[in-house]
Amino acid sequence: MPATDYQASFLGRISIRRNQVIAMDGNHEQELQDLELFSKHVSERFAELLSSPDDVPFDALLSISWLRKLLDFFLCCEAEFKGILMMGNDPSQISKPPLDRLIPEFLDRSVKALDVCNAVTNGLESVRHYQKLAEIVVSALEQKPIGDGQSRRAKKALTSLISAMNVDDKECSAAKATERSWSFSRRGVSSKDRVPEHFRSVSNHVAKNWSAAKQIQAMTNNLVPPRGAEGSGLASPVYTMSVIMVFVMWALVAAIPCQERNGLSAIHFPAPKQLNWAQSIIGLHEKIGEEWKKKEKKGTAGLLDEMQKMEKLGNILMGFTDSFQFHGDITDQKAEEAAAHAAELAEPCRRMEEGLLPLQMQIREVFHRIVKTRTELLNALDQVGKSSPPLL
Amino acid sequence: MDECQSAIPAHDGDLHVVAAAHHIVKALGTTKNLSDDLRKILIDLDAHLSLITSNIDSKGGKGFVEVEERLKRVERKIVIWESDRIMIWDSGPKEASDYLEAVDEVQTLIDSLRGLSMNENQKQKELLHRASSLLQMAMSRLEEELIHMLVKHKQQSEPTYIPSPSSQRNVVYNESVVSLDNESAKEASSKNSCSDECGEYIVDLVPEHVIPDIKSIAKVMFASDYGQEFCEAFIGVRKEALEQHFDILENGKLSIEDLLKMEWCSLSTEMNKWTWSMKIIFGVYLMSEKRLCDQVLGEFGSVNSFCFLEIAKTTILCLLNFGEAIAMGPQEPEKLLRLLDMYETLADLVIDIDALFSEDGGSFVRLEFHKLLEGLADSVKAAFNAFGVAVSSNGSLYPFPGGGVHPLSKYVMNYISMFPEYCSTLNLLFEDQHSDVASLVSEPQCGPTASLSTSCPMACHLRSITSSLESNLHKKSKLYKDEALQHIFLMNNLHYMVQKVKGSELRPFFGDEWIRKHNAKFQQHEMNYERVTWSSVVLLLKDDNPGSSSLSKSAFKEKCKGFSIAFEEVYKNQTSWCIPDPQLREDLRISTSLKVVHAYRTFLGRNPAHVDDKCIKHTVEDVEKLLLDLFEGSPRSLRNSRRMMKT
Repeated sequence: MPATDYQASFLGRISIRRNQVIAMDGNHEQELQDLELFSKHVSERFAELLSSPDDVPFDALLSISWLRKLLDFFLCCEAEFKGILMMGNDPSQISKPPLDRLIPEFLDRSVKALDVCNAVTNGLESVRHYQKLAEIVVSALEQKPIGDGQSRRAKKALTSLISAMNVDDKECSAAKATERSWSFSRRGVSSKDRVPEHFRSVSNHVAKNWSAAKQIQAMTNNLVPPRGAEGSGLASPVYTMSVIMVFVMWALVAAIPCQERNGLSAIHFPAPKQLNWAQSIIGLHEKIGEEWKKKEKKGTAGLLDEMQKMEKLGNILMGFTDSFQFHGDITDQKAEEAAAHAAELAEPCRRMEEGLLPLQMQIREVFHRIVKTRTELLNALDQVGKSSPPLL
Repeated sequence: MDECQSAIPAHDGDLHVVAAAHHIVKALGTTKNLSDDLRKILIDLDAHLSLITSNIDSKGGKGFVEVEERLKRVERKIVIWESDRIMIWDSGPKEASDYLEAVDEVQTLIDSLRGLSMNENQKQKELLHRASSLLQMAMSRLEEELIHMLVKHKQQSEPTYIPSPSSQRNVVYNESVVSLDNESAKEASSKNSCSDECGEYIVDLVPEHVIPDIKSIAKVMFASDYGQEFCEAFIGVRKEALEQHFDILENGKLSIEDLLKMEWCSLSTEMNKWTWSMKIIFGVYLMSEKRLCDQVLGEFGSVNSFCFLEIAKTTILCLLNFGEAIAMGPQEPEKLLRLLDMYETLADLVIDIDALFSEDGGSFVRLEFHKLLEGLADSVKAAFNAFGVAVSSNGSLYPFPGGGVHPLSKYVMNYISMFPEYCSTLNLLFEDQHSDVASLVSEPQCGPTASLSTSCPMACHLRSITSSLESNLHKKSKLYKDEALQHIFLMNNLHYMVQKVKGSELRPFFGDEWIRKHNAKFQQHEMNYERVTWSSVVLLLKDDNPGSSSLSKSAFKEKCKGFSIAFEEVYKNQTSWCIPDPQLREDLRISTSLKVVHAYRTFLGRNPAHVDDKCIKHTVEDVEKLLLDLFEGSPRSLRNSRRMMKT
């Protein structure tokens, strides 16, 4: 039953009452109001995220500040969700059907989300590295006049930047990354253009076969919209919160370098369009999914807006340094263009400098929040289990 | 370098002054033992003065001749290495310092040329480009040299001594309290605490003699505004080295999901590894890494702490996440000791962590570890409570055969005998819940007269555990149908508890009062046993008519028969019972002997007329001997011997 119906449907309420006579009576009105408010807030928040204008760089989809907003909203929704689930009403509800099945599934999803948080935190270290390389490019090219030395310096950093993004691209295969030894000898590297890159290995925090995409796929297991009378009980916020959690993790993984993301765009959210709150999430999912599909073919380190800008400007500037080296010099106009691009590149660098650490800390906050809620839910289940004999 | 612009002289007289000054500077420059800074100043001055001279000489036309000459000279010095396949620093200190000098010269030329940049002179512009190219070439080279140097010396920097994890507090209890019913618990092997064996070691991650070389590269790269390149290269190599050290410690790369599902045995190993890795990574490697960063980057301000954080972060996050996973896992009793190890390790390291990450950027790390410490503290408390619950709720369906020492008693007593080692930690953690437990344990030790060790929070918690154990044992004793066996069971187990307390570090925490009280308890059960088993048997031998001197033959025969049957019955039953402690067994036999043999001997002695082999089945000596078979845990019967006697 669509969630919108229950708000108005008198029959719906009757059927709830028939099914859950003991659990809901006096508090039921209050609970319905809470649920309604919750889905209203969810839908408002995600509508705001969906309407983020692409042309305003600061708030663009999947920019650092957009992700921070997303996480902020996640934390808000989570707090409300917990309030509904635990502070209201009869605590014993969580041990009765259908929640006795849905809560453990939700907790399972939470644990999976924690691993995603860690993978993404780790991925941010790579982004930090890109930032440092891009900063070298900027400082090389902001000098005037740009000469061969500056161009070479920029080219070297750019080569490292682009190949680093590509290493991450190949799904962070650490085996591949660490294969390259630092101890290269100068033998055989006689070319004038040899590039001792600012190479940095991508360290794995989990086993090699861990896959972010599979992890998120697994989070969608058993995730189905509540049907019938369930749709108006606490099953519905559990479902809503699960969808939000899966979406947030999915978006983070799409944005930030992560281990093994093959098949990320193939992940479907079983969120029916007729659910009001789900519409914006579905919209965002489609939008980001399209982007991912576009990039997946040629490989990408991630859809993080700042990173994409970096990649784009990096390629342009790479062309510039190539032609500089080819011609030995450059026209003033070209030099000005390059300087302008370098100045443009300074922008995402600046935003990374300002935003990456707070983003990382916010992901930790999400991590801790998920842990906390999980602990509280487990305690509540434990408490209920103790105080009442198991229903057989 | 604006000053040299303004300093360009207009008169011939000035020219002489410049020439003289130049001469003096050159002469000074040849002096040995100059400090680096002073030499740099002189070189700069030299460059400026030559520029001035050449400017005046040229009168605009063939200017920069000398600058170009110098550039050419230094170019040769730098370019020559480009075709060479040997690393400069491997070639020798002379080559290295020559190269650094050349780079300095390039930088000086660039500075000077920039200083004169107002003229828009084509020649000057060309020279500047050439110099910048040269500088880039040199910087690129220096970066390579740096990486080569760091990598080459990384291997030799393994600390000479790192105590192995096997010398750590060993793994004694891996089994769970739930699974041990009717299974013998492992005796705890005594362990050597060695909490101080791993203090802070600072090792040379890079050999001492290489540091000045690295520093000289850092200096020149930072001076030329290539600090970012230096940092990235430095971070890259050091980070990888740290991760290699971390890998050597064999920390499994496990997700939280894996850890939460893990079997206890493997998890216990992982927890040990974590404790170990924390000590090594923070106490040895990060301390040493910090020193290396200070040595190399100390003079470059915030870059220093930035690099250190970048090097350390991923490894730290790995350790942090494992800790978080453990802290959120279900806190089963068997985890308690491992959790205590983890807590203590982190508590010891927290000061170091605060010091290592004292800067703003590191506040994140500090905060996370403080949070983890709290989490682990909660976990320890939760596991301790779970332990208490497990002790009092451990149930059995069947009586423990033989009435010996129950595995639960062994498990609990051996387990808690590890706790004194963690005394200060446990006291700290239990401080807030102390009063609750102290009032629960209605032992006099918790009263105002108690000594410090018996009244500390841990002591009260320990006694609350043993009193849970006692009440559980009482419950278990009710499973025996035979009342005498109930007493044997309780006697055995209480005696075991007292012995364990007396023979271990537990003693000061339980106190003499507790020992006295529990001695009295098991002795009471001993007496009760004797009463229940033997009183009725001895009663059979009692003189019904104390007045008369002796019994009639038939009455005597009857009493003898009754005694034999009763004795044989006890014998049959109680040979299968068990008193594992030899001393206790001996004591009980002696007191039984005293009572039974004495009564039997008196009985026979009072009736000397009837004493013949036919009606006395067992002589006093027989009874005395047969009593030795009791409580050996191997059932025997006297039926065979009886049959033999009848025939």
